[in-house]
Amino acid sequence: MTIKYNRRSLLKLTGGTLAAASVASPSILFAQDSYPSRPINVVVPFDTGGYNDRLARAFAPFLSQRLGQPLNIINRGGAGALLGHSYFLQQPDDGYTLLCTSAAPFLPLNVLTQNAPFAVTDFHMMNLPSRDYTMMATSTESGITSIEDVINQLKADPRSLTIGIQPASADLVNLMLLADTVGISRDELRLVTYDGGGPARNAVAGNVVDIALVGGQGFLPLADKIVPLLIFDDAPRDNWGSAIVTEVAPGADFVLGSQRGWGVHASLVEGSPEIYQTILSAVEETSKAPEVIEALSSAQLATDWFGPEVSNRSLLATAAVMEQHLSILQGS
Amino acid sequence: MIDLAELSDAFTILSSSWSAWIFVIPGLLLGLFFGSMPGISITMAMAIFLPMTLYMDFLPAIIFLTSIYTGAGFGGSVPAILMNIPGTSSAVATTFDGYPMSRQGRHNEALGIALASSVIGTLVSYILLMFLIEPVSGIVLKMGPLELFFVAIWGLMLLGSLAGESIARGLLAGTFGLLLGTVGMNSAGYIRGTMDIPWLLDGVPTIPAMMGLLAASQLLNLVNTKHLIEDEDLRRISMRKITGGFREAFQHKTIIGRGALIGVVIGSIPGVGSSISNLLSYSEARRNAPDGDTFGKGNPKGVIAAESANSSSEGGAMATMLALGIPGGGATAILLAAFAMHNVVGGPSFIANNKDVVYAIIMSNFAQALLLLGVGLGFVYIASYIVRVPMRYLIPSVLVVALFGSYAINGTASGPITLAVFSVIGWGMVRYNYPVAAAVVGLILGNLVEGNLLRTYQISGGELAYALERPGALLILALMVVSFGLSAFSKMRRKRKAGVQMGAS
Repeated sequence: MTIKYNRRSLLKLTGGTLAAASVASPSILFAQDSYPSRPINVVVPFDTGGYNDRLARAFAPFLSQRLGQPLNIINRGGAGALLGHSYFLQQPDDGYTLLCTSAAPFLPLNVLTQNAPFAVTDFHMMNLPSRDYTMMATSTESGITSIEDVINQLKADPRSLTIGIQPASADLVNLMLLADTVGISRDELRLVTYDGGGPARNAVAGNVVDIALVGGQGFLPLADKIVPLLIFDDAPRDNWGSAIVTEVAPGADFVLGSQRGWGVHASLVEGSPEIYQTILSAVEETSKAPEVIEALSSAQLATDWFGPEVSNRSLLATAAVMEQHLSILQGS
Repeated sequence: MIDLAELSDAFTILSSSWSAWIFVIPGLLLGLFFGSMPGISITMAMAIFLPMTLYMDFLPAIIFLTSIYTGAGFGGSVPAILMNIPGTSSAVATTFDGYPMSRQGRHNEALGIALASSVIGTLVSYILLMFLIEPVSGIVLKMGPLELFFVAIWGLMLLGSLAGESIARGLLAGTFGLLLGTVGMNSAGYIRGTMDIPWLLDGVPTIPAMMGLLAASQLLNLVNTKHLIEDEDLRRISMRKITGGFREAFQHKTIIGRGALIGVVIGSIPGVGSSISNLLSYSEARRNAPDGDTFGKGNPKGVIAAESANSSSEGGAMATMLALGIPGGGATAILLAAFAMHNVVGGPSFIANNKDVVYAIIMSNFAQALLLLGVGLGFVYIASYIVRVPMRYLIPSVLVVALFGSYAINGTASGPITLAVFSVIGWGMVRYNYPVAAAVVGLILGNLVEGNLLRTYQISGGELAYALERPGALLILALMVVSFGLSAFSKMRRKRKAGVQMGAS
């Protein structure tokens, strides 16, 4: 059984398609008088299912209502967000491409350790509502009960505990800075490296490693299986009830964990201030709307409004500390 | 164990609202469709429909998403059997015997067997889940790197049986695959073999590489054939033969049972899952079968082993997700997101407080598996018309589908480039009699072997005595040795028996 197409019918078919396309496209090409006049893309430099993906997909319908155009989510995962960030910058800075990413630590990491073809300041973060923190935890079965136990044991013998951690991460920087402040020998620590926060958390919950330093929010579902030991922030977070780093090691430098949220090209802010203002006010209004706060917090997603000034300052501060301790990030 | 009062509550929940059920068949169909498109992963299919579930109640939402999960789990085996394209890494072992069966004109049986094995595998896994959900969750987190390393090594033992005529070539191909699997940034942050290409930092993209090695290389070698199946009489699509495949699957209860058990156990380990379980199950079935030599040449037992294990991994992954609130892979991460959208947090407290809901989810999965039998039958019937398409249309269309699929994975040129490079490598390997399947197995396992060996070394500080502190690892090692010993013993006995018979005649 073979189906026969003659050349004429094929020509008709292609001709028809072309005609249909040319009729449809002018409306897209010429109707650019007021922003936004066509759908807007949101680049998520991670695969489907992660925090940023969920944040983008949950926030997009509400933001879309305020901008009056549909939002398409584009996942460009890979290479620690380097691929997605590069892709985003390659798109025109006309306000039709937005970014939803873990700006810290990935932008500084891309620049400092991966030779990225961009600078952190090429990005402008409008709002970074999700601010994670490094948390040190141990299994409920480990026998360790407090941060003092950990510090004393490691001071006596730095090789006495195995430490689950991700290489080239903010968590690693925090561990090393803590070790320096309290007088533990950095080089002898027994690091066990994991490819992601999830595997490292599972390892410590199952008592496979003695302690782990990972982003704290991801520990919430495992709360019954772990003992929180130390939080790397200047105030208690998420009701863990553990010690905080500024009390345990006053004067120790530390970096915040993942700071996730919404960004645009830095060049858009300068080049098209009106368009930038439209997007910014839409994001602000959406972030503050009660129905959005309700929908997102029920999905354990952050929607607090910090604004561009605070967000960018915090990102750059993290980048500066990371750059200062570059040797930790590179010396794996 | 099962709490009967909660079980009857679960029945009440499920029978009280019919709205929960209307999403099952659409979900299965969507899953089958997306699962059978190479390059579109189960995760992607579920992510696309996740926002829709925001407007549903909790139970219908979860039933809808798990229906997609169930459908897509089987969908992947359709292109694996008909076109030698494993749409996901969990369908790799299905290609080993499924595709040769198709080429021999036994595509109807192969699809029927795959469908029945998948359905039984899913059913068995959820039955096990019902009894084992609590003990399994206790064990899962205890799996350290040494345990996972032994599991990966067990999977690697498959290389020996994939070698074909020459063991040396098989091992060489397997080593090549393993080395490819170590390209990229390893767990300790070292970057190897990326040639400064940024997307290789995450390693060689597995799915395009598999499609290139297995499918494209195969198709390039078929350029001169007229049809996938040479004999015109065998190109029939027969419902009777498909259902005949059902019966054949039922005859191999041990293979299905073993596959389902391997699937549940391996599937429940976060981050390992169905991509390993189908290989392990295939390798065990092959070593224990009296006709092991015909595996890889179209032995239905190979399809049964692979399909029962990859579909039962779903139950294992669900156990981990429900009991611990941690996702074993992308699909369960989406399910957890759906949980969160409805203000439900998975984890130990969820099971303790909502046993009726957990049972309802499990039972709705029973129903999904049974419905899959019907829906899948229709789907398979239509899909098998592919064997009637002449090769001069089929080869370019399949290559185009593979190309689009490889692009769809992350929307960059990395997929198509990998596909093209590995098509050439695969063609060369086939041309010079190196088993491509061994390279694929190496590629899938390379990262797992290396990462876990590295972590074992980091934890133990290089001291062998560490193994003695890990009874679980020793148990896995012992199981592996016993399994190999037993199959060697029974092989010897069969040989001797055959020898005696020869002598007597």
